[in-house]
Amino acid sequence: MRKYILSRILRSLITVAIVFVAVFMLLRLMPLSGYFPQEILKETDEATRMTYLRNQGLLDHPLLQLWRFLQRLFQGDLGRSLTVYPKVPISTLLKEKIPVTAAFGFASMVTGIVLGIALGLLMVRYKDKWGDRAGTVYILLVRAIPSLIYLFFIQVWVSKWFHLPLVFYKNRPSSWILPTICLSLGSIAYYALWLRRFMVDEENRDYVKFAQVKGLSKKEVLRRHVFKNAVIPLTVYIPTDLLFIISGSLIIETLYAIPGTGGLLTSAIKAQDNNLVQVIVLMYAVLSVVGVFLGDLLVAFVDPRIKLTEGE
Amino acid sequence: MKRLPALLLAMVMVFSLAACQSQKPPASNTPGNDPNKPVSEQSADDILSTKEYLKTYKTSFSSSYASFNYFSTAYATVRSIVANCIDGLVEPDIYGVYIPSLAEKWEHNEDQTVWTFYIRKGVNWVDHTGADTGLSVTAQDFVDGIRYIGDPLNGAYSLRVVRNLIEGLYDYYWDLDDIDCGDKTDMTREQALARFNDMVGVKALDEYTVQYTLTSSAPYFLSLIESSMLLLPVEYDYAVAQGEDFAVDNEHMLYCGGYYISHFERDKAITLSKNPLYWDLEHITVDTVEYQMIPEGTTSLEMFKRGEVDSVSVEAEEYLTLQGTEWANGLIPTERSLSTNYLWLDFAGANPEFNTFVQNENFRKALQYSLDRVAIASLRDPVNPQRILRGTINAEDCIYDSNGMDYTDYPVLKAIKETDYNNPKLARQYMETAVSELCDEEGNIKGISATQVDYLPVGTFSVDAKLPVTVIYVGTDDENEIVMAQLMKSMVEEAIGKDLIDFQIVCFSGWTYGTVADPLNYDIYFDSLSTGYADPSGLLTRMTTDGAENVGCYTVPEYDELVDRAMEADTFEKRLAYFAEAEAYLCNGAYVIPFISSLRGYYMTNCMPFTSPLTLYGNSKFKGTLVMDRPLTLAEYNTLDAAYELARAEALKAD
Repeated sequence: MRKYILSRILRSLITVAIVFVAVFMLLRLMPLSGYFPQEILKETDEATRMTYLRNQGLLDHPLLQLWRFLQRLFQGDLGRSLTVYPKVPISTLLKEKIPVTAAFGFASMVTGIVLGIALGLLMVRYKDKWGDRAGTVYILLVRAIPSLIYLFFIQVWVSKWFHLPLVFYKNRPSSWILPTICLSLGSIAYYALWLRRFMVDEENRDYVKFAQVKGLSKKEVLRRHVFKNAVIPLTVYIPTDLLFIISGSLIIETLYAIPGTGGLLTSAIKAQDNNLVQVIVLMYAVLSVVGVFLGDLLVAFVDPRIKLTEGE
Repeated sequence: MKRLPALLLAMVMVFSLAACQSQKPPASNTPGNDPNKPVSEQSADDILSTKEYLKTYKTSFSSSYASFNYFSTAYATVRSIVANCIDGLVEPDIYGVYIPSLAEKWEHNEDQTVWTFYIRKGVNWVDHTGADTGLSVTAQDFVDGIRYIGDPLNGAYSLRVVRNLIEGLYDYYWDLDDIDCGDKTDMTREQALARFNDMVGVKALDEYTVQYTLTSSAPYFLSLIESSMLLLPVEYDYAVAQGEDFAVDNEHMLYCGGYYISHFERDKAITLSKNPLYWDLEHITVDTVEYQMIPEGTTSLEMFKRGEVDSVSVEAEEYLTLQGTEWANGLIPTERSLSTNYLWLDFAGANPEFNTFVQNENFRKALQYSLDRVAIASLRDPVNPQRILRGTINAEDCIYDSNGMDYTDYPVLKAIKETDYNNPKLARQYMETAVSELCDEEGNIKGISATQVDYLPVGTFSVDAKLPVTVIYVGTDDENEIVMAQLMKSMVEEAIGKDLIDFQIVCFSGWTYGTVADPLNYDIYFDSLSTGYADPSGLLTRMTTDGAENVGCYTVPEYDELVDRAMEADTFEKRLAYFAEAEAYLCNGAYVIPFISSLRGYYMTNCMPFTSPLTLYGNSKFKGTLVMDRPLTLAEYNTLDAAYELARAEALKAD
């Protein structure tokens, strides 16, 4: 197992390094005019623009820029935003934004898992009856209707009916409810759909029929055997949600005015904020790799039959 | 297992029952419920005298306040905060007439090249808690503002106008830059910095007198002080000590305006609190201004209805949906915009068909006369689109000569204002003339051959070097712009004829100035320009053949010469007359096609109008703002507007 973990860590580091260097170099291929907002491009002459870029170190050789970035990184300095939040330290930005997004991400993940599994169980328990049909309708609605429509409906109308705030306020707990629900709608549907499918599959296995022949009630078979086996394939996705927790949702953060990380990467790329893009890409790459890695470990943990290395 | 589904079901039922309840807007937030007598019978004085005003103003912003560094941040949003937190030398009153601010009085020499300002004594800088720092605002702070922006390492933006206008600043800046590049080795950076006081035309004559020496006559200098953040004061030692952290948030800057930023939560909320040491405290009518970020327009409207913000802008579609509701009589038309929307034509692009035709004035005029501007304006204001029309580059009602005559009323520009450009017949005639000059009898465009046009990353396009002329309009994927582009396409093709023109629209999601406009990856695109201060030079000198604003790369020596003459004119009236001729030359030749102003839709507000400074060139100030506990009605607005316009005319006459 130790050998497996070490080898995975090494491979993960290589993956992260490749992703990071590729993104870093690609950013340097972008046109220099992209560093300036339109107002500045029109207002400022070429020479002044070049002066600005040179003073920011953006005209240096890309490898020199990479070396400088890595040096700073190992000293714990993530640098400063260039264009999206000019001169604001990136560490300050992340410190401000990640906790907000992570709080919502975590709350919605828990909500999604709990309600998704509950709905999945309901659908299995009442298969082909009202519970199953209601669940299917919910899943279809969430997956088939463009999310903006129901998200907007929830924000404007549901907030009005329940006297909930329209947007997020840090110091008003009631304002957390709707964004959390909105963020978890998709994952509720996801977990319910797959749990139902895995449980229905499991129900048709011989060991289930054998258990019932032995006299166990359907409820007991579902609880003691079917559920445990069906939930295993789902556990692999839980750690990958780690990235989702940090990266946030552009639409929901925009709708509810949540000052999180949703859309931060998009804004940084559009404004050619190299420093910010580099840091975010590095962070997301690490989280993705860690997420996948943890998923593998978790599966092995919950299902002892799964071996990660040969000979174990 | 049965309990869980039952619980879920119960929750759904409770949810559904509760959802059947409804809520009406509070009576106090309903327009028109307050007046003691019908609005039609009220005078402006009645309306003003019957109100009690709130001490907090709640407003919203839609895009991020990236930084508060007023020297090195281009974003317009920053100006709206800074205008309230850092006072300039002068400010406009409610009629737009300049009155003392940090300068108690001022004077200038005869040719208006030397301006002397006498600074108010006893004004101190405060920090983000409103506490007195003990540092006084002096003449040196204004000198240091220029010193700060004059150093390239401080990365000041939008330098062009100020750097060219203040004597010696241009050379000082480029000397430092040459030293930084290693191109200048005969002096050290420290020596170059030390030359500031001798070299640059801004001096502290004594502790409370600052004098600006300008490179040319600038009768508009007061309006430049209003519009440019680069002429604001700075506590230099403090700013230098902060280094790159200067004004990145509310805690790293000092304040000398009516408000300080007491709370700042990036991308979420900003609170401005009344500066207890402010020199003009009696006119600070609102104690606290609460900003919150609402990126989505419809949410803002809903929040206004629920009383959570005190003002909201209303776009055309929302305006229509509000008709017939209790909010309809609170919809106020937006007043003015100095920004003009225009079509840029690409004179140096890679499309040989368009490139051949755009050099021909008849073709450009065909485009100009094919647009039904009223129809386009209706997309923004379906009720009164006429108020949005604009055919000139500079806005009306903002530049006046010493006789009080509006610059756009100079005869050559007045003629443009009065021209009806919606003339499909004339457009077709112009196009036929252009075709006869540029094509052979079989419709082949002379001198070019079929090719693939490379406008990447926008796209590649095949052109066959035959009629109809292929025109590539490159716009953004903004919903409103797409509708406008489609409307233009139908107008142009209908007026000129599909046999002669093929107007193609590309909605490019990656639209930026750097991907489309700057590298000339378009034939036509839509943009806007703003009159920056009370002089046409702000726009027109940037639109010369080698000007920064000549995005389409046209060459018009006649225009350049008129601009040069204007700049050299010995009186302001002559200057305006030459500029008017130059502007008319560009518009009449359809080198650019201005068609509407940037005025957008309507707004609803709880604020009494016309009580705060009329900031034509800068950003609105909260000084004097009166916040009611209910929305202003249109009838009230109209009554107040009529009285205000009369008073303003008097004030401008007296100025």
